[in-house]
Amino acid sequence: MRGGAEVLAEGLRRVLAGAGHQAEIVAIPFKPYPPERILDQMLACRLLDLSEVAGMPVDRLIGLKFPAYLIPHPHKVIWMLHQHRQAYDLWQHPLNDLHTYANGGDVRASIHAADTKLLPQSRGLFTISRNVSLRLKTYCGLDATPLYHPPQDAGCFYTRPAENFLYFPSRIDPLKRQNLVLEALAQTRSQVRIYFSGPAEEPGFERTCAKLAHKDGLENRVQWLGAVSEEEKRDLYARSLGVLFPPLDEDYGYITLEAMLAQKPVITCTDSGGPLEFVRHHQTGIVAEPTPEALAAAMDSLWDDRERARQWGVAGRQRYDDLHIDWDIVVENLLA
Amino acid sequence: MRVLVVTSGVPFIRGGGEILADNLCRALSRAGHDAELISIPFKHYPPNRIPDHILACRLLDLTEACGVRIDRVIGLRFPAYLTPHPNKTIWLLHQHRTAYELWDHRTAGDLIHYPDGPVIRDTIRQADRELIPEAKAVYTVSKNVSDRLRRFCGIAGEPLYSPPAHAAQFHGGPADGYFFFPSRVSRMKRQLLVIEGLARCREKTRVRFAGEADHPGELAACVEAIRHLKMEGRVEWLGWISEEQKRELYANCLGVIFPPEDENYGYVTLEAMLSSKPVITCSDSGGPLEFVVDRQTGLVADPTPESLGQAMDALWVDRRSAAAMGEAGRARYEDLKISWEHAVEKLLC
Repeated sequence: MRGGAEVLAEGLRRVLAGAGHQAEIVAIPFKPYPPERILDQMLACRLLDLSEVAGMPVDRLIGLKFPAYLIPHPHKVIWMLHQHRQAYDLWQHPLNDLHTYANGGDVRASIHAADTKLLPQSRGLFTISRNVSLRLKTYCGLDATPLYHPPQDAGCFYTRPAENFLYFPSRIDPLKRQNLVLEALAQTRSQVRIYFSGPAEEPGFERTCAKLAHKDGLENRVQWLGAVSEEEKRDLYARSLGVLFPPLDEDYGYITLEAMLAQKPVITCTDSGGPLEFVRHHQTGIVAEPTPEALAAAMDSLWDDRERARQWGVAGRQRYDDLHIDWDIVVENLLA
Repeated sequence: MRVLVVTSGVPFIRGGGEILADNLCRALSRAGHDAELISIPFKHYPPNRIPDHILACRLLDLTEACGVRIDRVIGLRFPAYLTPHPNKTIWLLHQHRTAYELWDHRTAGDLIHYPDGPVIRDTIRQADRELIPEAKAVYTVSKNVSDRLRRFCGIAGEPLYSPPAHAAQFHGGPADGYFFFPSRVSRMKRQLLVIEGLARCREKTRVRFAGEADHPGELAACVEAIRHLKMEGRVEWLGWISEEQKRELYANCLGVIFPPEDENYGYVTLEAMLSSKPVITCSDSGGPLEFVVDRQTGLVADPTPESLGQAMDALWVDRRSAAAMGEAGRARYEDLKISWEHAVEKLLC
């Protein structure tokens, strides 16, 4: 599996190496089911010893993901991508199943106990977003500073005049809610068109989306581009009228930032998590209720007033620049 | 097929094991499989950390990823090869050597010096004996590694040779006046013995050494010996070199010197054969002895300065037979049919 986490780890490694440090990624495989396997793998991580290599101390350990961030080290700093969400904000969520196992509650309690007890042992606790910090505070009572980092190849994004489509780049996944966007599309007043790109990893959900696009006769208003290259993606951002990104409680979300870099307004939802830290309603995009009606109204509103959409896009880029999202600041904090 | 290659590694350190793992993944992909490498960090000291790492590997679950079955696991290095999987093949690079043949080695032995060393040694041996046979098939990288596995654990493992990286790019060339010795600088590779051998030569033989030192101390010992034996004019110390430089140095040498102590396998031997060069190795060198045929593709000397010196003199004065041995080495490499296609086929069958 390769996703945002792998991109982030590789980006961090490259920046550390560029700053003159010797940096290497250690990836521990993790399989979260059946639930008792989670406990095994937490223990496995606790048993590893990364304090030295061949007699030379490892000066700093940067932990990113559960349960690997539990590996002990005297100079560990955690930059949390997210906790094991099934045991926290996604507990009893219809898309997850930890709670359906007889031992689900016990395993959840063990995860909570491990995080609450072991995370404070690190000498620094950071997260990738306010959203992740907020969850950590809510569920574990721990304070952590959010540290934003730029998307991959941030310097390569550019803008072009808007063409007649909204762009939704994301894995085709229930948590990204392409289904909600398709339901909304059926309710727009204007002939809004959407380009979707991103790999489909869940065949069931892909079929759901295909059915929705078919049912309402939306075929010629929807394009499925599948997995696209980074160059194609930047071109699609640049030529779009605006970007759709209404996931459910996203940890961080590069798409918001990429849209801002491409000077495009972003439509997101009130429950989308990470994107809400960046999108300002009616200044750099639209924050809609997570309903087909509200999303449809948001799409119509961008579609109908192109000049305003353009201005919001420019304001989004300005906001990105004002935020000083910079790898150097991340590294400085992680190595302080 | 979805295949996971599972190995142990020490972060920041790359050697033959890492190269083999990378090349195996690439060969699997070329054969149309979905292959990925997992490297579990391993720190072998103090000794009581070893059982922790064994347990950690036993606790990992590589049966599936996101609900999709992993069809095969190929385990390479201790203790990662002990990670359970219903469809596991082990391709043993080597066991934890200081619990076995290097237990009481005068310089390499480490466990033996700790109070809990014997207990940890027995734990490692027991884990290997009981858990290696869980694998559907056990291969090793050489006869040498198979022999040790049979001798210490009573387990049969079939040797399966693999080509060195970029095997197709090695080529022969006219012999200049030097022997080539590419290797990490370490006691087990015995650069020091070669320097002493050089001092015993009757001819003005010359050696070019390439490779970085494991520890600054290893390098210092060689430099001191060169100075002490006044060999400065006959030794060239190249340090780290690129793969291209390495191939050129092979192509233009008179012969390759590779006299390590009990090497598991040894890509250097194969690279020399690919470059049509004779190899000087020693009677206790392990892996190289599976390839070097004495007086046909090289010379097998005793591990003494005198014997090594004689072997160097012999090739130095008879360039024609040195060249002939090199050609015979290349022919022998071809005869052995060493290929990644074959290795992948065996590992997945």
